[in-house]
Amino acid sequence: MSTRRQDEDLHISEHDLLRLTADMEEAHQATLPAMQAGTEELVEEVRTADVRRRGFLVGIGAAAAAFALTARSGEAPAYAAESSPVAKPSPYTGDLKVVALAVALENQAVMAYGAALKAAKAGRLGTVPPAVATFAVTAMNQHAAHAKAWNAVLTGAGRPAIKGVPLTNQAATLKALGKVTSVTGVARLALSLEEQAAQTYSFATTHVTSPAGIKTAATIAPVEAQHAAILHFVLGEYPVQDTFLPLDKAAKPTLLTV
Amino acid sequence: MGVQRIDTRLLKQLSEQSQDLNSDAMRLTHGSLVGMDRTVSRDDIRALQTAASLENLAVSVYRTAAGLPFIKHGNRTVAAFIATTITQHSAHARAFNAAAMNAGGVAQTAVNPKYAAVVKQALPGIKGPADVVALAVTLEDAATQTYVKNTGEVRDVQLRKLFASVAPVEAQHRATLLAVQALLGAGRPELVAIPTDVSKLPAAAGSVAFPQAFYPSKNASPVTEGAVK
Repeated sequence: MSTRRQDEDLHISEHDLLRLTADMEEAHQATLPAMQAGTEELVEEVRTADVRRRGFLVGIGAAAAAFALTARSGEAPAYAAESSPVAKPSPYTGDLKVVALAVALENQAVMAYGAALKAAKAGRLGTVPPAVATFAVTAMNQHAAHAKAWNAVLTGAGRPAIKGVPLTNQAATLKALGKVTSVTGVARLALSLEEQAAQTYSFATTHVTSPAGIKTAATIAPVEAQHAAILHFVLGEYPVQDTFLPLDKAAKPTLLTV
Repeated sequence: MGVQRIDTRLLKQLSEQSQDLNSDAMRLTHGSLVGMDRTVSRDDIRALQTAASLENLAVSVYRTAAGLPFIKHGNRTVAAFIATTITQHSAHARAFNAAAMNAGGVAQTAVNPKYAAVVKQALPGIKGPADVVALAVTLEDAATQTYVKNTGEVRDVQLRKLFASVAPVEAQHRATLLAVQALLGAGRPELVAIPTDVSKLPAAAGSVAFPQAFYPSKNASPVTEGAVK
């Protein structure tokens, strides 16, 4: 096959691939209404739980509130154990603490991909392959969509939206990002965030009590895992590393600083 | 002739991976069974059997594919992917069946009837790796959507944990296959390699593997679809 012929093939295929991407973007948009319905259901569940909780908490001190809420459900002992009495109680308790953690993790991913793209533009990462740039933009947009969906749950429940990255590991993540000088370095860092996110959602499916919350986490975990698979491929590693998704890298609710 | 083409290092690596994966399966299955609610609903057992039926079909299809000349003597990365994926789906089937039996049900050893018909219809048209990949994409998507839905619907928390641990893996299979499909479609089979030449990957190859921000479940198999009658 001649070089010219190869170029023609590539040109046509690239066009086809872009068309395919556009089709997939449509498919992505098509999933949004269902997702919105899911978050509305979750907001309603949280509101109902709040009403029940307020009734239950009459006469009980605020410091005992978080523990009482979680203990009542009997299904989220991990979070109950990690809620410590502080001067200013967190607005995020029970399932909402997991939702807040999810937003923070998503915001962290958006921040990381954004910073990487900025560094790439500034030429600090060397030559960035087109596929890697496309990956970063697409993954960043999907993480932003996840954050938006989870924030809608928080605001719907009367809690403040999580705007930044209130995580104890954020300083270390920023430091690591600042040190990265190659595409491989960025991919490795992104992989750690994607694996953490996928595992956190998998963990969440058995540690939140709300059916809508479980369903929402179940729809996001596979997508983060897909991001991780492609990052493994980019790093020259086998894309499907585990037969069963482990939980050893799942973020703990104690990571949240609000 | 075929024997001469076998890469013994690759086989050794796959064999080691297979042992690791089997250990993972045993560990996870054991973890799923410990503390499992003895009063698992009938629908939960059906969901497990239907999941096993999807896994059985995937194993059967990948095994058949592995024996096709254009796979056996074709791209080594595709062949290695198929071999590893057979091991992973086999482990999933064992885990689902073990959970079903522990809950008082029986193991599902048959293939999923709905998707078996899809496979039967597709078989005459399979002429090359791209056709195999397209069929595998369909099966992996069916499994992922089913497990995403089951994660939200099974009542037993240990079963939920099992489905939640398998759905992302099937999604990764699909992501890998979509990337391979894109590269084969682009006439760049040489880039289907580990490691690949990342600098030569087409731009769109960076996004085709994860078309949705939220994994859908509208095409999930109902719990009765592959249940033991």
